Amino acid sequence: MSEHAPAFGAVTLEVLWTRLISIVDEAAKAVTRTAFSTLSNEANDFACVLTDERGHLVAQNTGSIPSFISTLPSTVKHFVREIGVERMKSGDILCTNDPWKGTGHLNDVCVVRPIFRGGRIVAFAASTSHVPDIGGKIRSVEPREIFEEGFHIPPMKIFHEGVPSETFFRVLKAQVRTPEQTVGDIYAQITALDLMDLRLNALMDDYALARVTELSDELNRRCEAAMREAIRGVPNGSYEFEMKTDGLAPNAPFVFRVRLTVADETIHADFTGTSPVQPRAINTCLCYTFAMVAYAVKCALLPEIANCEGVFRPITISVPENSILNPLFPAAVGGRSNTGHYVPAVVFGALAKVLPERVMAAPGSPLWNCTQSGVRPNGKPYANNLFFNGGMGAVRAKDGESTISWPSNISSTPVEVAEQNSPFFFRYKRLRPNSGGDGRHRGGLGQDIYMENESESPIAVIFLAERTRIPAPGLLGGREGGRGDVVIDGTSMDTRHQYVLQKGATLLLRTPGGGGYGPPEERGAAARARDRLLGYVED
Amino acid sequence: MRQEEIGVVSRYSLGIDIGGTFTDIVVYDRETGRQFNRKVLTTHGDPSIGVMTGIDTLLKEDGLKPEEMGRVVHATTLFTNSLIERKGAVTGLITTEGFRDTLEIGRERKYELYDIAIEKPAPLIPRNLRLEVGERIKHDGSVKTPLDEQRLDKVADELVKNGATSIAIVFLHSYKNPSHERSAAARVAKRHPKVAISASCDVAPEIREFERASTTAANAFIKPLAHVYLANIAGQLKGRQVRAPFQLMLSNGGLTNVEEAKRSPVQLLESGPAAGALAAAFFGTEDGGGNVLAFDMGGTTAKLSVVDNGQPLITYAFEAARQKRFIEGSGFPIRISSIELIEIGAGGGSIAHIDEIGLLKVGPQSAGSEPGPASYGRGGTNATVTDADFFLGYLNPDFFAGGTMKIDLKAAERAMAPLMKQTGLSLTEVAWGIYDVVNENMASAARVHIAERGKDPRRYAILATGGAGPVHAYYVAKKLGLRKVICPKAAGVASALGLLMAPARIDRVATVAVRIDQVKWTDLEAAYRKLEDNAKAVIAETGLDPKKAKVTRLADIRYVGQAFEVVVELPDGPYTAASKAALNEAFEKAYIEKFTRTPPDVPAEFINIRVSVKAEIAGSATEVTLAAGGKGKALKGKRPVYFPEAKGFVEAAVYDRYAMKPGDSFQGPAVVEERESTLIVGPGASFVVAPSGNLVVTVPQEGAA
Repeated sequence: MSEHAPAFGAVTLEVLWTRLISIVDEAAKAVTRTAFSTLSNEANDFACVLTDERGHLVAQNTGSIPSFISTLPSTVKHFVREIGVERMKSGDILCTNDPWKGTGHLNDVCVVRPIFRGGRIVAFAASTSHVPDIGGKIRSVEPREIFEEGFHIPPMKIFHEGVPSETFFRVLKAQVRTPEQTVGDIYAQITALDLMDLRLNALMDDYALARVTELSDELNRRCEAAMREAIRGVPNGSYEFEMKTDGLAPNAPFVFRVRLTVADETIHADFTGTSPVQPRAINTCLCYTFAMVAYAVKCALLPEIANCEGVFRPITISVPENSILNPLFPAAVGGRSNTGHYVPAVVFGALAKVLPERVMAAPGSPLWNCTQSGVRPNGKPYANNLFFNGGMGAVRAKDGESTISWPSNISSTPVEVAEQNSPFFFRYKRLRPNSGGDGRHRGGLGQDIYMENESESPIAVIFLAERTRIPAPGLLGGREGGRGDVVIDGTSMDTRHQYVLQKGATLLLRTPGGGGYGPPEERGAAARARDRLLGYVED
Repeated sequence: MRQEEIGVVSRYSLGIDIGGTFTDIVVYDRETGRQFNRKVLTTHGDPSIGVMTGIDTLLKEDGLKPEEMGRVVHATTLFTNSLIERKGAVTGLITTEGFRDTLEIGRERKYELYDIAIEKPAPLIPRNLRLEVGERIKHDGSVKTPLDEQRLDKVADELVKNGATSIAIVFLHSYKNPSHERSAAARVAKRHPKVAISASCDVAPEIREFERASTTAANAFIKPLAHVYLANIAGQLKGRQVRAPFQLMLSNGGLTNVEEAKRSPVQLLESGPAAGALAAAFFGTEDGGGNVLAFDMGGTTAKLSVVDNGQPLITYAFEAARQKRFIEGSGFPIRISSIELIEIGAGGGSIAHIDEIGLLKVGPQSAGSEPGPASYGRGGTNATVTDADFFLGYLNPDFFAGGTMKIDLKAAERAMAPLMKQTGLSLTEVAWGIYDVVNENMASAARVHIAERGKDPRRYAILATGGAGPVHAYYVAKKLGLRKVICPKAAGVASALGLLMAPARIDRVATVAVRIDQVKWTDLEAAYRKLEDNAKAVIAETGLDPKKAKVTRLADIRYVGQAFEVVVELPDGPYTAASKAALNEAFEKAYIEKFTRTPPDVPAEFINIRVSVKAEIAGSATEVTLAAGGKGKALKGKRPVYFPEAKGFVEAAVYDRYAMKPGDSFQGPAVVEERESTLIVGPGASFVVAPSGNLVVTVPQEGAA
């Protein structure tokens, strides 16, 4: 094909895109296998992308979680704007974890490598990964400002023409609890960037491409057209939905309010009326709010297409400044998922009015996390993260699945591994009967995890735990899912505080169930009998 | 139970490979290197019927005597199918109090991110048949709560009352201390002698309770079936006067005896593909320098496996019965050693369609064999890969399946017409597009797979088998930058022949979870010894001399803080404190090979230790002479065939594989026809018939098509 007028038809484009995706998937495998953070290696809490020279996304790794929709391309665009392509050299690695320019919290370190060809930048390889520790307070909702949340890396070069900046790595190591692992994870990402550079150049050799601009334009044009077409299938109008959630204190729920406007080929989500920014680390930066809206819309309208920028172009959001969904610097944002994970359910609530067959009742998310810290018998301090998930919401076609991470995709640690790593002894980890919201289709079940401190030394525990006050609502007549609960020594506790467990103290975590779909009267007798037989529902 | 001595050399070996559609029977004659084979339809109700029909015809027609068979080796997809179709025993689980839902809770992850109607693979054992007993072992192996035997009796009775004919026993931390599982297994077996028992400490003694339970449940699910089936087929062979020892191929390409196979049938899940990989290693060694990408493309899927230095790569974790589009995470995790294999939904029957953004996609949906591709004229209306292959001239409508099947070319064109309309491409562009897209799907999968192992794809030769393999191999090779395509003769039965090339092999694993700087070396050495003794006992059971067996030590090692291990082949034992440097070095070398650099300042830790004990079996096939060939004229004629290099159809030479002789050489563009498949060779390539009988194509080096 000619270099000057590349024609990307149905076949060429498919073949090239498949290969581009195989490049980012290969890079992702490298990250998974070499990362130290369980968040990268077990939880896929990272992403690898290729963009064109302007920062437009052309390929994103298949397993990358919804939080990273559109975030890396905007990070690349920030670098292009703030550093400038003329100041970038081959072998440079750019880095930031600025929540507003990155992914919404300091733990995600974004690295970018300009890809050169014939002395010119033709593309960017970018990656973001949740590092094991970034300093600051142990992950919780407690910080009031970003300065308490850890080490802040402004957009900067950390490798100059292939040479690491010693100053940067020295300073970074001094700020974090796990210097080898945090630095090791950044190196794992850089390995992935090197790989993408190599592979993209090989692809361009094979197909005699001088640049990816036209390929990117054609791909994104088609994806954008497909999303526009899908939106055209939704009746024009404004659809509102409101959901109340736990809030920081009893009887002071947060309000999530959305007005979703479908106008021919575009969807706009306006969150005016949503609760204001909080002096706690549960605010969600605009980039993350957008990712969650885009995720819900893609699930409902175009689930099959791989991620590229065009898919998301017809989707816009507006959130008033200083909203909990659009905090400004220096707000604390570390526990963004605590708030952000509610957003897709809110968008579904609005879409349910016109697309009831394409949405899900609210799931038992956000993700639950229990961080333990203390001192081992050998005197060494430790900190450990355990993740747990609730049930998915029910849909038009079926019951919700039990205990699955949504919208995120984070595995829980095996009990056998958790008992090796922490002084907790697990008495049980089992499905939680009756926690799935009743309905024509039942919500998925949450789970009960019961642990006991068996060590002589006390364990400090702090939680990210939601839906303990206000459960996941059902949809179209479906009932709400079971409320979550954190019980210490038999008493329900306020999940916003840290507790210290002495030897023999017990901790019961009850993750929430998903909401039901459709009126319970419409649930078939066979489905009810099965629920009884299998004990999903008990007296 | 000690079987007859099988080290004794006898002239013939018999291989039986039961596949989903066909059962292959092959006899190998050690003295002449000749092989005889038959293909019969698999008889699904009772697979032994097809096997015996095949054996009877072969022996009769080729004038062989059953008592001359020195050994019988068997592979089957029966057990995998029983998992996929969920047709196994009513199975119960007895587990630690508080943990009966481990199987159902799973890893809590979605295998597909954007599907809100996602379905987790339902556990093989439903919740009402998963019961708990009081008992608890701690992570250090100490007993916290003794086994409640009365409760055990009660739950076992309840499971049996509810129809369970097989019981899985999975207790927490049994990889560390198996005593509770062992005594529970013995007690239940005594109380219910007819019920099959699978204890996780025997099936998959590795840390991570969900994966261990999943493997044990799969084993329990197929165990009664395996018991009946293996006894039946062994009995029938004896009835036919085939008195030779009966051996089974394991998923890792090793052999074992009937008793071990009955104990742990989950090890046989991938026995068929394992035989295929061994055959690929065999046929590829001489002409591929030992580094081969085995490419087996059939009607619905393509399977890829990597052979390094003549040895197929082994994995220690895979998934069985993926329920959705072969997506990782949609199947049951299985922790046994197995030939490493990737399977994707790309075959001759894969259907082409246009997606939401106007791109041409191929598969994973397949037209299967009914109705099949449109060109089969059996009512199929979707355009498939096979239809494109006919249109492009790659397949010969007058000689498909050796001329036994009538092909409707017009139907193929009709099926592709809607795709023309949707894309604005010509018929030829659509057909080439289907061919090119399915090739890219396979090449991309291979690229990621090979790169994951830190290898460069270009050092491999591609070895094509399966009906569609040789049709697509040349252009897949071009995409991957491979220089050589190897097409063995009679690729259709090569896999069964692979059965006769395997050594006896027993793998064992145990979890140690210890940092390399904290290892107690006598303990580690003792742990390896224990595994070796156990594996050698099974080798002895097979009738081989364990003293002559080759022991390989391996370990799953990672840097402290990582969650994935690298399986590393270690230097031979015995180990002492002085071994530390050598073991560390072996790990670092393997790590760098995979990931290019090691992280700074972190110690390594052993998670699992493994041994692989292999014993060569006398009488294994080492040289295969295929039918001599060279009769008649090789050049059959010419026909128009599409080649992208020529941007159109050119008159290509069509050769008869059966008339080619070793030493003959040819130039592309060319088509080589044989009964089961057709090899396509592009312009600028040359190919020869090697002394091995393989066709070996040299691919010209240039940019991808």
